[in-house]
Amino acid sequence: MKKYFVKDLMVPISEYATVSVGSTLFEAVLALEKAQLEYQHREYKHRAILVLDKNDRVIGKVSQMKVLRAIENKNAHIEKINEIKKFGFSSLFINTINEQSKKDDISIDKLFWETSKQKVEKFMKAPEEGEIVDENCSLDLAINQLIIGKHLSLLVTSNDEIVGILRMTDVFAAIFHSMKKIELKSKKDKRKK
Amino acid sequence: MKEIEKLLNRIIQRVNINLRELGLDITPYIKDMVPVNQMLKFYAFYGISLNHPLDFQFKQSNLAGSYFLGKCYVTNSILYKTDVRGDELKKKGDIFNYNESEIPVYQDEEINVEDSFLIKTLVHNFSHDPETLERFFIKDTISTHYANIHGSPSDGCFIGPFSTVDLTTIRDCFINAFSYIQAGEISHMKFEPGTIWIRYPNLFNFLYQFPKRSLNKYISFSEGNIPKGLFIDFVESYKEEFQRIFEVVNLETVTTIPTSASLDRYAVVLPKTHIGENVLVSQRAYLENAWLGKGANAQENCYIINSKLEGLNVTAHGAKIIEADLESKVFVGFNSFLRAQKSNRLSIGQNSIIMPHTIIDIKKPLSIPSDHLVWGIIRNKKELAENSISFEDFSKIKIRFSKGNMFFEGDGEKFIKAFEERIHHILEANGAFYNGYENAGHAQKNQNISFNTLQPYPIGELEGMYPTINIQP
Repeated sequence: MKKYFVKDLMVPISEYATVSVGSTLFEAVLALEKAQLEYQHREYKHRAILVLDKNDRVIGKVSQMKVLRAIENKNAHIEKINEIKKFGFSSLFINTINEQSKKDDISIDKLFWETSKQKVEKFMKAPEEGEIVDENCSLDLAINQLIIGKHLSLLVTSNDEIVGILRMTDVFAAIFHSMKKIELKSKKDKRKK
Repeated sequence: MKEIEKLLNRIIQRVNINLRELGLDITPYIKDMVPVNQMLKFYAFYGISLNHPLDFQFKQSNLAGSYFLGKCYVTNSILYKTDVRGDELKKKGDIFNYNESEIPVYQDEEINVEDSFLIKTLVHNFSHDPETLERFFIKDTISTHYANIHGSPSDGCFIGPFSTVDLTTIRDCFINAFSYIQAGEISHMKFEPGTIWIRYPNLFNFLYQFPKRSLNKYISFSEGNIPKGLFIDFVESYKEEFQRIFEVVNLETVTTIPTSASLDRYAVVLPKTHIGENVLVSQRAYLENAWLGKGANAQENCYIINSKLEGLNVTAHGAKIIEADLESKVFVGFNSFLRAQKSNRLSIGQNSIIMPHTIIDIKKPLSIPSDHLVWGIIRNKKELAENSISFEDFSKIKIRFSKGNMFFEGDGEKFIKAFEERIHHILEANGAFYNGYENAGHAQKNQNISFNTLQPYPIGELEGMYPTINIQP
């Protein structure tokens, strides 16, 4: 089986959705859409946006989950529902309260509009130590890092500069591809015997 | 480092280990909450009476200003101005009913405090846990100012100021300020300040959460700060009156009481107070111009000021009633705060239930009708309408109900009935129905208690630590 390194599977930053610090969330979403259209050769679509500082260095990442959470938290009733869930009420009761509370919330259109105008910094998460991997690192170590940190992707560095992103989907695809190869080879070998 | 400081660090560490799964470190909450020199100042004392067991063991502990009654073992603990009232413990041969089972009690129940730090806490009632009928344990636990541990074994918990754990076994829980928890058995839970939760599985589930901003005025508690707010200011303002009764050995009698009533020697009673028949006034209660009718009671840490209680009123541990008129059988739950003004009084109609940890703080007159259930925070008529309901309407709830911050699921009628039965039981236990020869309770049995004092080492490494002491008849 081919020995993979991180740099073999990473997506270079040039192919990734990026925005400058100070951009709005709406601009970030447009950048994501553009990257998804431009790089359709990729088996899986990009799902995050990298935020760059004035010197084009990566300073953070905006994930889909982070945006969804921000929208969810804007409606106060969700917090209330999440809080009362732990007190042993039935799911039927929780759903009823949820429906009742929704009436008090602001309209979904207004909520989306307000959220899209906010700066990306609000949704950005700065890279943590366990989220960074060197481009020459072997794939098994990177897999370990993904599992331990429960990350969906890792930021790849070269000489301490972020140069790409290693996505779990690409790692999984590479592993799956290798599995298929091994299986085919073993079938061929059996036939020869 | 002195022994008492080592002991405090050890307790904090043990509690932290228990709370690690909640990601909590209680060190900044507790470290300077009670300065060590305060723990060296006060004597401990215990009650001797023919009506209660006399079985104490104190080992490697500090007991500053604490009181003990009944059967109680304390090991490796600090009890600061805490009352451990073992006058409702189970006796050998009693039968404990749990669901369909009748479980015999095989030996006298004990309150067992181990590796814990209890600050101005009340420990009372008996273990309601069928798994530990003979041992009401409080282990690896820190409780803070005016907390109530009522019939609730506790292991590895932090109980915030003015909080109450009632008839619930708690393990590895963080209970923030002014929360009231009555839920049978819980573990690994963290409660926000002002959470009022009463749950009886398959019967009912009641939840109310105080709006944080409103509650902060009354009690706020955060890392690195001692508890603050109106509740603390209120009790502090009466501190001197209590100092007087704790400093003097023989107090002058300030009021005459009927032979069927009990007035604790460590209660403050100021003119013009009337104490009727079968009234129970527990220690650390404060009465000033209070009228207590037949069978009323004022439990530990209660304040009744310029108020009239018609009779058969329960004023549960820590409740405060100021400038109010209560008709008969009004129940005021644990740590409730009822404050009106001299010319703008509060009146509460017969049988009404002011739920535990309710705040009624009014500037204009307010009248609560009879047979009403009241909860939450009430500062005007509008809030009363939002946070109360008649028994009749509540009894109609069969599935679910919500009103403001209150959520209820289950059978409303059974909820009211459970409260009424409990109130009746409290009155019975307190001797409110005594007729001269039967139905005697605490009001009669707690008379004629004498008090002995205990002193710690005065200087040196062991300063503040009490020697190992066994006390038996």
